[in-house]
Amino acid sequence: MMNEPVILVPLDGSAQALAAVPVAKVLSQIGHMSVRGLHVSDQKLGEVELRDCLAHGTPILDGLPLESRTGVPAAEILRAVHELNSRLVVMCRHSRPQRAELLGRTATDVIREASCPVVLVPPERGTGVWRLQHVLVPHDGTPTTSAALIPAIDLASQAEAELHVAHVAQAKGTPEEPGAFTTPRYIDQPQHDWPSWSNEFAKRIASLCPLNHVRVRVSLARGEPAMEILRLSETQSTDLIVLAWRGRWDVPHAHILKKVLRSASCPVLILRTSETEPETANLELTSVRRPG
Amino acid sequence: MGIDVSDNLEARSVRTRALLLAEPTRDPDWIIVDEGFTLTREHEVESLFSIGNGHSGIRGSLAEGCPMSTPATVVAGVYVAHPGSVASLVTIPDWTHLSITVGDHTLRMDLGHNLEHRRILDFRQGIHWREWRHQDGNGRITRLRFCRLASLADRNLLVQCVWITPENYSGQIVADAHLTGLATQVVNNHTKVAVAVADRVVGPDAEEIGSSELMDGRRDFQVAAGQTYRIDRVAALYTSRETDEPDEEARRKSSEALQNLKGVIDRHRQAWLAKWREADLQIEGDHFAQQAMRFAFYHLMSSANPQDEFVSIGARGLTGAGYRGHVFWDTEIYMLPFFLLCDPAAARALVMYRYHTLPAARAKASRNGYRGALYPWESVDGEEATPPYAIAPDGEVVRILTGEQEQHISADVGYAVWNYWRATGDVSFLLNAGLEILIETARFWASRVTREDDGRYHIRRVIGPDEYHVSVDDNAYTNGMAQWNLQTAAELTALVAEQWPETWHALSCRLGLEDEERDSWIGIARDMYTGFDEKTGLFEQFRGYFELEDIDLTPYESRAAPIDILLGRERIAQSQVIKQPDVLMLIHLLWDRFPDDVRRVNFDYYEPRCDHGSSLSPAIHALLAARLGKMSLAEHYFRQSAEIDLANNMGNAAAGVHIGALGGLWQAVVFGFAGLNLNQNDPTYDPRLPAGWQRLSMRFHHRGRWHDVTLSNSGDRIQTTESVS
Repeated sequence: MMNEPVILVPLDGSAQALAAVPVAKVLSQIGHMSVRGLHVSDQKLGEVELRDCLAHGTPILDGLPLESRTGVPAAEILRAVHELNSRLVVMCRHSRPQRAELLGRTATDVIREASCPVVLVPPERGTGVWRLQHVLVPHDGTPTTSAALIPAIDLASQAEAELHVAHVAQAKGTPEEPGAFTTPRYIDQPQHDWPSWSNEFAKRIASLCPLNHVRVRVSLARGEPAMEILRLSETQSTDLIVLAWRGRWDVPHAHILKKVLRSASCPVLILRTSETEPETANLELTSVRRPG
Repeated sequence: MGIDVSDNLEARSVRTRALLLAEPTRDPDWIIVDEGFTLTREHEVESLFSIGNGHSGIRGSLAEGCPMSTPATVVAGVYVAHPGSVASLVTIPDWTHLSITVGDHTLRMDLGHNLEHRRILDFRQGIHWREWRHQDGNGRITRLRFCRLASLADRNLLVQCVWITPENYSGQIVADAHLTGLATQVVNNHTKVAVAVADRVVGPDAEEIGSSELMDGRRDFQVAAGQTYRIDRVAALYTSRETDEPDEEARRKSSEALQNLKGVIDRHRQAWLAKWREADLQIEGDHFAQQAMRFAFYHLMSSANPQDEFVSIGARGLTGAGYRGHVFWDTEIYMLPFFLLCDPAAARALVMYRYHTLPAARAKASRNGYRGALYPWESVDGEEATPPYAIAPDGEVVRILTGEQEQHISADVGYAVWNYWRATGDVSFLLNAGLEILIETARFWASRVTREDDGRYHIRRVIGPDEYHVSVDDNAYTNGMAQWNLQTAAELTALVAEQWPETWHALSCRLGLEDEERDSWIGIARDMYTGFDEKTGLFEQFRGYFELEDIDLTPYESRAAPIDILLGRERIAQSQVIKQPDVLMLIHLLWDRFPDDVRRVNFDYYEPRCDHGSSLSPAIHALLAARLGKMSLAEHYFRQSAEIDLANNMGNAAAGVHIGALGGLWQAVVFGFAGLNLNQNDPTYDPRLPAGWQRLSMRFHHRGRWHDVTLSNSGDRIQTTESVS
């Protein structure tokens, strides 16, 4: 049993926390994993008491293995991730009923420290049925982000979901990473340049994380990136937003991630980029030589 | 297969020399180099390092392929049109693919260790080189050198050679090619394309080795440590546009060429060296500028075929599938001046393409209710090939109106005819082709204008070079060029009538052109609305332009995207922000018609409002800024233009190099920094060189003579020396 891949679902006893369960169940079916609930409090609870405490009179946790631990919630969740070799943590963004746009302390700590990807679910989603049909992947055009997306591509492939890759045009600056591909600076003739750009964007992603048979749509948005991601997720009936994160949380890093996590109305999967460059980038030495 | 590092170095060196067919140029002014390998950049590297000879173009793909490889060989003038889609250049079977297997290990960039890897585009010799030193998982080190060329001396021939040196092992090597022998392709049921590949393996003593019989394109041979072996592959490419028997010709040619490969390569190298001797442009004191100019020269020369006047140059040349190979005004306005001065025979072929497509231009004008010739905005075989719709990346379906409204192309073609005539004095061309184009384009404008209540002639609902604004009235560029077209046609018909009366009689009878019609052109030109304000000296780009929102672009100076992406198409269409020079393009083309104060006031007004959303834009701004003595701006725009393809951070070139922008870059130096003016009997110069340029030397052809010019910059003055041959 312990060898089976595990999705860990932290539950703090609030009704809001249960919003993570339908998402975890669907992801477990897609990824052939088991779901395991974890409650951390001051005192360890017995199984019956634990289930009563967490389920709020609903059958949603029926059949789900639950565990009670004592200690600091974030630390215990991370410990469980390590002990269970969890592949994924699915948890509610926060459990305060009156505060919609909030990122809980425990959720923040888990995102920052977890060794596996994390899905944060907005509490207002409730415990209704969740399906994975439309995945939104904001992409900054860098190979590092492409490489980080492999689990999301696999997920979309297994769920037969459509992958919507969105790039938000930036007014200033282009990534310095070799091989990055962002907004075209020149659009001589849109009837030729736009199809060419979309095609190239998709191919660059596919070269680092094979898209298999996933239906991919590439789009370009403009404006403040977090707001555009949120707008697209609302207008495109997105079931899951996938964000690649380079692992820095301190200001000014991760500002887009934080904004999206606080306000998204659908679950958000956070994939940490590799500490090292993607494998193919190891070969990179320099590009076309230009004088300094 | 044992590891063996012992060898007689001296003997190896002698033998290696025997296998050499050519050596890469190492002078950095004559090459660009891509060191290492970045998978995701592969498409742009393939474009930049492509080779061509005007007949065909071959992308610089890795011979063995990689996940991003898009190998393509395209043939000028061979397009395929699928139902419901506009025509595109055809990609022929990939004759370049070749993978090398050592033992059971196929050499690939993503397997084993790449100890060295570089690609070199050798402008001087017109050769794509690749040097690769690879170590497999068993420690076997293989050194490879690839060379690929499209013969400039015999445009049907393509060559690929691979030198293989097993550094520390002996054993078996298998070379596996996708295509050896003959492959044919029939396009659109009428054009047959045949490519035949002959190959061989040459041993260290220059003897042919390996299996003589091909098995599925594979050749296997034994190698000894430290020895160098060479695989030769010669492809001959023919179409039914050239011969009735393309497959027979291809087969014969490839076999013959393989037997004299050294001669084939030598003649190709000599052809390129001759091109450089004739028209190289040298810049001392700025390596990047020098490299950029030779990059431009190389790709422009690689795109044109003086021997084929039924093809023209697409917006990405023969370097990629971008723009489907369609031909725009880029050719006449941005590229042709280069060919006029550096390769007049190629220039003639390009303007003759417009003569051969004149019937289609007449038909388009007629379909739209006009007389004369209305050239297509996008051309394949002369018919309008502009896609009617585009799907923007935000999902919006955008109607494309350029095919209907960007009619200035007709005047641009007329301008190219006149430009060719001015530069060459080619009477035969003028009498047998050029004048007819000018007459028919003038006829179009005479039928296109409407005389309105103000007594002036107006042109409504057009798109100028600035495509951010569509369906505008009285676009300054369109009206100005139409006016020029009418005047010039009238002047040249008068000249021909006077000097070659018999020819004129025959032509005017054939075209039904009476003196009254010709006189009407003069009247229309005189009364054409131009949008010029005598008080301010400004041209209004189109009716109502000055009332539009005036957006300050300063906060967006470092933008990495066109402004219409950042601020939205709708807002930009309602603003004075322009995509590329429009009024300034008119001033550039008709420079001597405008007094200096008019040039300056318009430059000062429109330059800050230009977004440069088109790759064609920075070069013309560099040119004009240089002519106006605004050197800081000129250098800024020159560098921006040069970086369109050569900068490595935007992926701009993935679908092919911006061949029009390269033509513009060359013009920026010649007409901008050197200040060359060809409007007088003899060339004149008004040089203004960037501070770092110690010397600019160029050689160009004008009216049957070659001019050698050196502009020496001593800081406070520029000395001009010229010789004519």
